[in-house]
Amino acid sequence: MIEQLNYTTTPTYNLPPSIEHIQLPQTFIELSQSTMKNIKSRYLQPNQAHLNKPPTNNIADATPIMKIQQPSTIKTIPLEPTTNEKPVIAVDVSSIHIGETQTGELCAIRGAIVWKQKNRYKYQRIGPFPFHITEQNKKEIHKLFKNSHFEFSETPNTINMQARMGNLLERMLQLSISCSAYSTIILWDGSMTAGMLDCPVDEMSRLLETARNRLSTVLAFSKNTNLRFSGHKLTDYAKKAVPPCLLQIGNFPAVQGSVLLLGDIYVAKLTRGVCAFRLDIDKKVPKEQGIEAVQCLLGSDLLVQSYPETLRLAHIYSTFTATEVIGIQRFIAHQYSLKIVTRPNVRRMLFGPFGKGGEAKQ
Amino acid sequence: MRLYKKEGNSIQILSAPSDDVEKGDYLLVEDTTINRKLITQVIDVQFAAVPGLLEELLRDSTSEEQIYGEDFDPLGVSSHINHIQDARMLICKIRGTIQNDTLRVNSSWLPSRSKSGITKIPINALLAHVGCNKELPINIGVTNDGSPLSITAHDLDGRLNIITGKKGTGKSHLSKLLVLGLVDYKATVVVLDLNGEYTGLGLSTKGGENQYSSRVHVLTPGANFKVSLAQMGLSVILKIMIHALGLPGTSTREFKHIWKTLCQQRNISLEALGEAIKQSGGNMHVRDALFSRYYSLVNSGFFTDNEESATSFEKLFEKTKNDGGALVINLKDVSAVDRQIVLEYTLGNLVKLLGQWKLKSVFLFAEEAHLYLRETYWEDIVTRMRHFGLFTNFVTNQPDTIKENIYRQADSIFLFNFTNGRDLETVSKAARVDSETVKSIAQELPPHHCLLIGKAVNDFPVMAKVRALDIKTMGQTRLFFTEVMD
Repeated sequence: MIEQLNYTTTPTYNLPPSIEHIQLPQTFIELSQSTMKNIKSRYLQPNQAHLNKPPTNNIADATPIMKIQQPSTIKTIPLEPTTNEKPVIAVDVSSIHIGETQTGELCAIRGAIVWKQKNRYKYQRIGPFPFHITEQNKKEIHKLFKNSHFEFSETPNTINMQARMGNLLERMLQLSISCSAYSTIILWDGSMTAGMLDCPVDEMSRLLETARNRLSTVLAFSKNTNLRFSGHKLTDYAKKAVPPCLLQIGNFPAVQGSVLLLGDIYVAKLTRGVCAFRLDIDKKVPKEQGIEAVQCLLGSDLLVQSYPETLRLAHIYSTFTATEVIGIQRFIAHQYSLKIVTRPNVRRMLFGPFGKGGEAKQ
Repeated sequence: MRLYKKEGNSIQILSAPSDDVEKGDYLLVEDTTINRKLITQVIDVQFAAVPGLLEELLRDSTSEEQIYGEDFDPLGVSSHINHIQDARMLICKIRGTIQNDTLRVNSSWLPSRSKSGITKIPINALLAHVGCNKELPINIGVTNDGSPLSITAHDLDGRLNIITGKKGTGKSHLSKLLVLGLVDYKATVVVLDLNGEYTGLGLSTKGGENQYSSRVHVLTPGANFKVSLAQMGLSVILKIMIHALGLPGTSTREFKHIWKTLCQQRNISLEALGEAIKQSGGNMHVRDALFSRYYSLVNSGFFTDNEESATSFEKLFEKTKNDGGALVINLKDVSAVDRQIVLEYTLGNLVKLLGQWKLKSVFLFAEEAHLYLRETYWEDIVTRMRHFGLFTNFVTNQPDTIKENIYRQADSIFLFNFTNGRDLETVSKAARVDSETVKSIAQELPPHHCLLIGKAVNDFPVMAKVRALDIKTMGQTRLFFTEVMD
């Protein structure tokens, strides 16, 4: 008999007063519990490949890429850090493939909220939550998405489900923060591109609107962008720009097919150094207010290589290390009486030292 | 615990933080399918090299300084992650294999990684299994697992043992324990006590008499330990003159001549010797050389012409013949030259008595012997004298003063803490144990804990806490601030 797990339903976080009432959706925890409880397998085949390389899939890195088709203009907006310090809060979520069972895939998802107030950083890590995704429970998972207004036209395969689950938790945490924070700079990891499977326009708009109503501004930093302008990567245009500054991309199409850009796109070069990032600022926030928020970020948070420290920490705290992966594998094996077995690597067997590709997923 | 790696006679065992295993413990790697067992000893406990640990620690170290927070972990996964972080690697040395209940000193067998079970073996169970002699036990103290540890008096009989460790770790205490252990079995023990530490062997901690009072005889040269020249044979006095007083060859020949003349006259006394040197003809330099040595003998206070006050070694040993006993030669406050005179006399007489079978055998305990034993004595004691029945136990805090060949011939070593690498390097030359064991375990031995190596523990090194004794502690350092503190 598998032991019943005790879940805490409503955690009280040590957050600033305005955001301390963040509640993790109970349904997400219950779903984790439910999928894990129904493991009908005797074996857990760990994902060995992840142990020797950075294991985490950061959710935002999977954001789809749009290309600029029409000629646009680039305008440099110099920035001045403001002394009006505001709380900065960032959220990031990571997911990791843990292994396989006889009937499905095992993954784990963890979120991290980091905020800076009065020169101190605080963090709250949520998870890890293990999930066992099988063909049988995909419908149950789909139901959760549906209830959370993330409806897919087609049920994603089990591999994509891991990223979708991560995205769902990220949106849930973002919503909680939008609802709780007041007059705060909220940092997202990724973009404000909506209209894709796991970024429904209505849900994304609701997130931004909630933040706006509570006088908070959402700034979304993308670490990777393939947006190109005249053949060059968008961020390459910031090489000669004098920091701190924003490069405003003019005449950018707001809609491309089903994809909708909910933010104005900028290239942010906020400090000296080689890095510049795509920055999305809520379209419905007046431009001046958006730029003012970036200037406020300059005055409120530490920036290294143009990247806000709060967001960097959120990424670090959500990321899974190899030790944690082994720990989660051990937890699952121990809790659900699974025997850890390593299946032979077919590629290695066939090709010897030349069979390096596809080790992550056979 | 899981078997991880084997290299030569070393194996590595992956262990959970909850496993109660320490340095010095014995583990049994058992492959039940083929009824074969590997006896291994843990010589070091390290953290397992878990991938991703550095990232983990870097992340945690930031949080200590400027960042703090908490985890909402409703499933309790973090305890499993901590378990992985704290996983340990036990570095072990193979001490032997057991096949069909027969012990073999063989490290070539490779047990199965997947099928082998690993269990901790109590030291006493191990020693019983390897057939340790249970006769004439001397209780040393307790092992790591809290069980009493005894060696047998046979382990000291006919053997050469070394007790070594840095100052203040409990060498002399163990030495006293062994002395009294031997006395318990009616053995005769001679202690060369450099600092007067053994003079309280016959007194209890409170200062009164203890069970050994009648069997401990403290001899203080010049006080209750004086000898007459008449008791001494030519060989003993020559050793004193040559080795302790450095008499040159030509003068030695003249001295022999004088001594033989006195023997013929049956008139051997200090006074007669002085007169004979004065009367001797020949070279003036030879006479001066003899006179200077003569006055050294006189000034030592160790010699007397009064036969009644002279100590007879033979009679002393008579006292110990039936019930055993310890002769403690208190060399405290005795000058270096006088010390050598006393030692040459004592050892010379011991060998003489042993050679004449007037004594069956004697256990000699020598503290910091390099301070009074001449170079040539070392090999003599270790090789020749043991055949006469003189069984030596060296006690030193300077292991490099004992020659390498002596370590190699040592039957057992009682090793206390050493932090100095050079000292450990010296001790590790003992052929009875690998240097890694010595270096790894001895460096972390707490005070009053020793590592027993060699025949006393059937070549299975064992860590033990030496038990307390009900004897008066002597030889304590005199402190200036004691009264102020009181």
